[in-house]
Amino acid sequence: MMWVGWALAALGFALLVGQYAAGQADIFVSIANPRPLDEESMVVTLKGWGFAAQAAQPFVTPESDHGLCDVRVFATRRQMLIAIATFGFLRPVTVAWRAHAGILPLGDA
Amino acid sequence: MPLVRLGDEGRWTNYHGTGTCEAATRFALRSGDAPRGRDEIAIAAGSIQDWLVEAAAAKRRVRPLGAGWSPSNINIASQCWLLHTRRFNRCFLIDAADVRPGVNADGLMLVEAGALVDEVSDKLEAQGRSLWTSGAGNGQTFAGACATGTHGSMIAHGGIQDHIRAVQIVTPAGTHWIEPATGVMTDAFVAATGSTVLRDDDLFAAVQLPVGSLGIITALVVDSVPKFLVRPIQNLRKVDRVALDWLAAGDFRRFSAAYALDQEPDFVQMIVNPYKPFKRPAMLRFLYREPWRDDYPRATPGQLGAGYDALSLLGRLLDDYPWARGALLQFAMKQGYASGPDVDAPPVYGSWGEGLDTHRPLADLFNASVTIERADLAHAFELICDVYARHGGSTVVTVRFMARAEGLLAPARFPHNAVIDFDGPRSARTADAYARVVERLDAEGIAFTRHWAKSCRLDAARVAADYGEDFRRWRAARDRLLPDPAHRALFGSEVLDGLGLTC
Repeated sequence: MMWVGWALAALGFALLVGQYAAGQADIFVSIANPRPLDEESMVVTLKGWGFAAQAAQPFVTPESDHGLCDVRVFATRRQMLIAIATFGFLRPVTVAWRAHAGILPLGDA
Repeated sequence: MPLVRLGDEGRWTNYHGTGTCEAATRFALRSGDAPRGRDEIAIAAGSIQDWLVEAAAAKRRVRPLGAGWSPSNINIASQCWLLHTRRFNRCFLIDAADVRPGVNADGLMLVEAGALVDEVSDKLEAQGRSLWTSGAGNGQTFAGACATGTHGSMIAHGGIQDHIRAVQIVTPAGTHWIEPATGVMTDAFVAATGSTVLRDDDLFAAVQLPVGSLGIITALVVDSVPKFLVRPIQNLRKVDRVALDWLAAGDFRRFSAAYALDQEPDFVQMIVNPYKPFKRPAMLRFLYREPWRDDYPRATPGQLGAGYDALSLLGRLLDDYPWARGALLQFAMKQGYASGPDVDAPPVYGSWGEGLDTHRPLADLFNASVTIERADLAHAFELICDVYARHGGSTVVTVRFMARAEGLLAPARFPHNAVIDFDGPRSARTADAYARVVERLDAEGIAFTRHWAKSCRLDAARVAADYGEDFRRWRAARDRLLPDPAHRALFGSEVLDGLGLTC
């Protein structure tokens, strides 16, 4: 029966490695014709397996009066290690976005 | 007040994540709602002049930032004031009454300095006009692309800066409107922009490609041509060595007949794997220009073959497994570039602007290039690939063709140019391989220049040697525009000082 234990341990380890790698994937959503300004980012930490979420800072972004061009959600290696080490109780993710510069109508010189 | 401060002093990172400014204070220039373009840029220029005086008083250098697109750090500096221009992006039609006699106003547009190439292209196309060339991407500001000599890619045309007909530029001493000696805009128009007119060919050729060293550019007058269609053909083909001779001789028709359509192409691009470039298929792209018609079937940028730089994902693999580099690069070429439309596929068409792409930021990117005389291609290309591959270069090698570009510091300075790009994942080994390519070209006595906005490793002596008399004329023009050394220093940085552009 020893081999069953080792197999389960290997399976568990593989699951963890898979989660560690997949958690760092970059989820990217963009509008079709972007006019991007600089990228801004913030860290959002999900607590208690998602029952509570706390942003490291309020979502106040400069120059977003023309909306956003794109948003990325990803976790860094460190953030994934924190999530794994706390059994998912803490799940920090980075949210990055670029505001839209605006499209202004053609005028007369 | 169109100029506002953005947050506190801190770190700023460029578009592709390849350069950072420490302790930078950021400011943003924004478009207003003035009814006429000339009023708008007069207000902006006044604000910028005040800002420059403040920066000088605070003993801070200034850097104008467009889209922050340049992969090199030529446009950035630490402990400086950065001016973001992206939201200063209005475009204006120019009336026939505002140009001097003999100047055709039909194709002209007044463009604020923060407008992207994509925005300018869109605005022109809405008026039935088009840019006649541009680089592969369109996410740079038009002013920024010109300032760093972004090369064009149409065989019969020069660089993107060739579209410029007049420039408004602000220095601490004043606001200048610079045109060729023959003149473009009326004195009344220039006066309404709050500028002093300078009609001088050398000054104009200097500000067409200022490398961010001559002041803050606030507006450009951009020329255009009637809108046209392009038909792309894109395929993977093994290229014969002899075909390089055809390209070197400018026989693009023969090259096209062998690998795509039997007609004269307007654009030819060859992306090769430097590991066995003639044994592995190269990615070829041709564009054929056709007259505009409204009823062409619309295609997406992907269907038009847009997108050129999707190779960075394999960077680590390429670095870690040198024995597999050739195969990995070939795999990346197949996966990373849009496939087709090939010769047998139903033809697709698009405007020039529709075939360009604003890609997302690419992390860990390496960009470098050499521009050589086209006639040297057959001799130089295989040598370049050999040296680059032997020293572990981990990017594909791309060749495009263009005519001599305007501007005293235009890298495309040969009558016919072959631009060879090394774009892909960044690694120390790739940078070293590129350095070895440069050494080898020097050893072989092959004349070449390097792109200002890419990894260029230039110094003042080399710039002077590469550009010769044109560099002396550029500096003379600079000294007339910025006679006070303190003003020249205001626009400097460690990099620009090292290139001999600001000191």
